[in-house]
Amino acid sequence: MLPPDAFDRDGFLRRLDDWTPDVARQIASAEGLALTEGHWEIIELLRNYYREFDSSPAMRPLVKYCALKLGSDKGRSIYLMSLFPGSPAKLGSKIAGLPKPDNCL
Amino acid sequence: MAASEAKRVLLVIRHSPYGSSLARASIDLALAAAAFDQDVSLLFLGDGVLQLCPDQQADAVGSRNLGRLLASLPLYDITQVYVDADAVTRYRLDLAAAPVTAQALDRQAISQLMGSHDHLVGF
Amino acid sequence: MILHTLNASPSSAAFADCLRLISPGDALLLLGDGVYAALPGTPARLALDDSAVQLYVLHDDAAAAGILGRIDSAHLIDIQGFVELTERFSRQMAWY
Repeated sequence: MLPPDAFDRDGFLRRLDDWTPDVARQIASAEGLALTEGHWEIIELLRNYYREFDSSPAMRPLVKYCALKLGSDKGRSIYLMSLFPGSPAKLGSKIAGLPKPDNCL
Repeated sequence: MAASEAKRVLLVIRHSPYGSSLARASIDLALAAAAFDQDVSLLFLGDGVLQLCPDQQADAVGSRNLGRLLASLPLYDITQVYVDADAVTRYRLDLAAAPVTAQALDRQAISQLMGSHDHLVGF
Repeated sequence: MILHTLNASPSSAAFADCLRLISPGDALLLLGDGVYAALPGTPARLALDDSAVQLYVLHDDAAAAGILGRIDSAHLIDIQGFVELTERFSRQMAWY
């Protein structure tokens, strides 16, 4: 378990290097989410996105990237909303240990 | 707003990627506008073409990598990306290796491009 | 037609980029360090004259630079004149 001061006031990791799968579970549980295989697939995808583009995605690019990498079934807003309710790009990035997306409401 | 009424915005990007924060600000603005369904085009002009250098290693100066950020433009549906052909020649840039696909325009075509947009935002 | 505003000296990349993209019928307002491009007889001014752009210089910035006496008053405008220019031109491009 990471101490509270490892996170900013919005719950995003301050140091991206602190991230581990256990940290992801910790963040998710603080958000009331239990991570399933579906979640982990998107978390991995988000971390790949960050490595590729040096940024956290807004919703639109996240959906397109999912479609590109995981197929059109999963490249849909509704699928991502079902896993990460509310704002999937923001919540998913938070759990995946990415910086807060710039272009998210 | 209906698509036919949408104002077309051209971002004219004239600064090198790491010499100031302007380059980063211009791309952030482009992504934010696209995330909100605005019709945005990008023109890399003059020194702005230096943002299209391949193999940028921004971590060497502790910056975020602008080249890799540019590679995400198509995911934001920003596909109207133009570049100043004269500056590309002057810096002997290889557009084929650029992080994002950009169409090279000569001086006259750039003037036409500017005339075909409702708003010009210089960076 | 475009109203260009230039807020950088004649040695800047901004000036070079701007000069290259001025088209017939465009206007150019010089402000800040841009006012030096209006100095008669300088390469920058000669290039602007060749471009046939409608040339304007912000009065107070030219005064501050100490070059007011060298600029033909026909080119000088105040802030009100700037506002009127923005009303005449639907597009504006800022070079700095």
